Amino acid sequence: MKRLIPLFALCIGLPAAAQTPQLILESLVAKAGPASVARGEQLYRGKSKAGKTADSCVACHTENPKAVGQHVKTFKAIDPLAPVAQKDRFTDPAKVEKWFKRNCQEVLDRPCTPQEKADFTAYMISVK
Amino acid sequence: MNDYGITWKHLASLILAVGATALVIEQAPAGDEAIFPMPAGKTYVNECGSCHTAFAPGLLPARSWRRMMAELANHFGEDASLDEPQHLAILKDLESLAADGPQANLRMRRISAAIPANAAPQRIIETGYFKYMHDEVPRHIWQRKKIGTPGNCIACHIRANEGRYGQGEVRIPPP
Ligand code: HEC
Ligand code: HEC
Repeated sequence: MKRLIPLFALCIGLPAAAQTPQLILESLVAKAGPASVARGEQLYRGKSKAGKTADSCVACHTENPKAVGQHVKTFKAIDPLAPVAQKDRFTDPAKVEKWFKRNCQEVLDRPCTPQEKADFTAYMISVK
Repeated sequence: MNDYGITWKHLASLILAVGATALVIEQAPAGDEAIFPMPAGKTYVNECGSCHTAFAPGLLPARSWRRMMAELANHFGEDASLDEPQHLAILKDLESLAADGPQANLRMRRISAAIPANAAPQRIIETGYFKYMHDEVPRHIWQRKKIGTPGNCIACHIRANEGRYGQGEVRIPPP
């Protein structure tokens, strides 16, 4: 029994935030309506006139969400967005919210709506 | 046994000793190797290394970092703001590992000495030290697709996120 205690401690110590893309999608859908993959893809590929440095998501993430992207200003390589190509994508709700906040502002010059977040996430998960 | 009293055993241990010393010298980080201390844990690399290289704090003085951290909501035109606990933790690390911080090594002190006391530069690539270290890199190299800007340290210094900028760890991406 004594030996089991560290094991329990280990389980409790696991990051509470770790989730699956599906669970994250479900909680986004709960705040919006049913998600649309097609609308999500439109958001991903659409050009925005309000963009400050990037006029679209694809400007940094490329036309192919499974490909390595590149920041338009810093030129840093960006891991693929689609969970199928990068397994830690959409597994940390706080990280997902943080980047929606930053990048919607960056590209659209406004926050994304809960519906847009759900659609976008649904599209990313649908990429095979 | 010969006239000098040297046996093969002596010789062998001498060779071994010399070899071992050479190994130690080889492995010990030379005092002037370009290695900068980095904040412990993953927070710094996760937060400040997401949009670009996680720049070593020792590349700028503490006053530069203080100003940058106070303006994160408009950080070179982008929103890099952090939540309060992370903000405080990162600021503390930046201050203690800064070029003029309490843990500064000789290289870092040289970096800070070259920056006027009344200036708080925000760009590493505009510091005298950076320019001096890269004055032999031709312009067309910076323009390569995978590099793009001198600020993209990690494109060439493959272990930059660990604070390692030594000569043996530079790989310039091909055009
Ligand atoms: C949301 C993206 C983003 C985040 C997060 C971010 N930065 Fe930046 N940072 C930028 C951009 C964009 C630039 C300007 C790039 C350019 O124009 O060359 C920049 C530039 C810099 C520079 C100047 C580099 C140079 O010499 O040109 C430093 C230093 C810097 N950032 C430090 C930090 C620190 C410290 C943090 C964490 C607190 C941080 N950054 C987080 C986007 C970001
Ligand atoms: C084009 C690729 C490239 C990029 C991008 C680049 N460097 Fe370098 N850097 C070099 C080369 C080449 C040298 C010289 C290596 C040598 O011969 O010692 C060097 C040297 C250095 C040195 C001195 C190493 C030593 O042994 O003394 C430091 C420190 C350094 N770079 C920091 C940076 C930082 C910080 C950045 C980003 C802000 C950066 N570099 C971006 C290519 C690059």
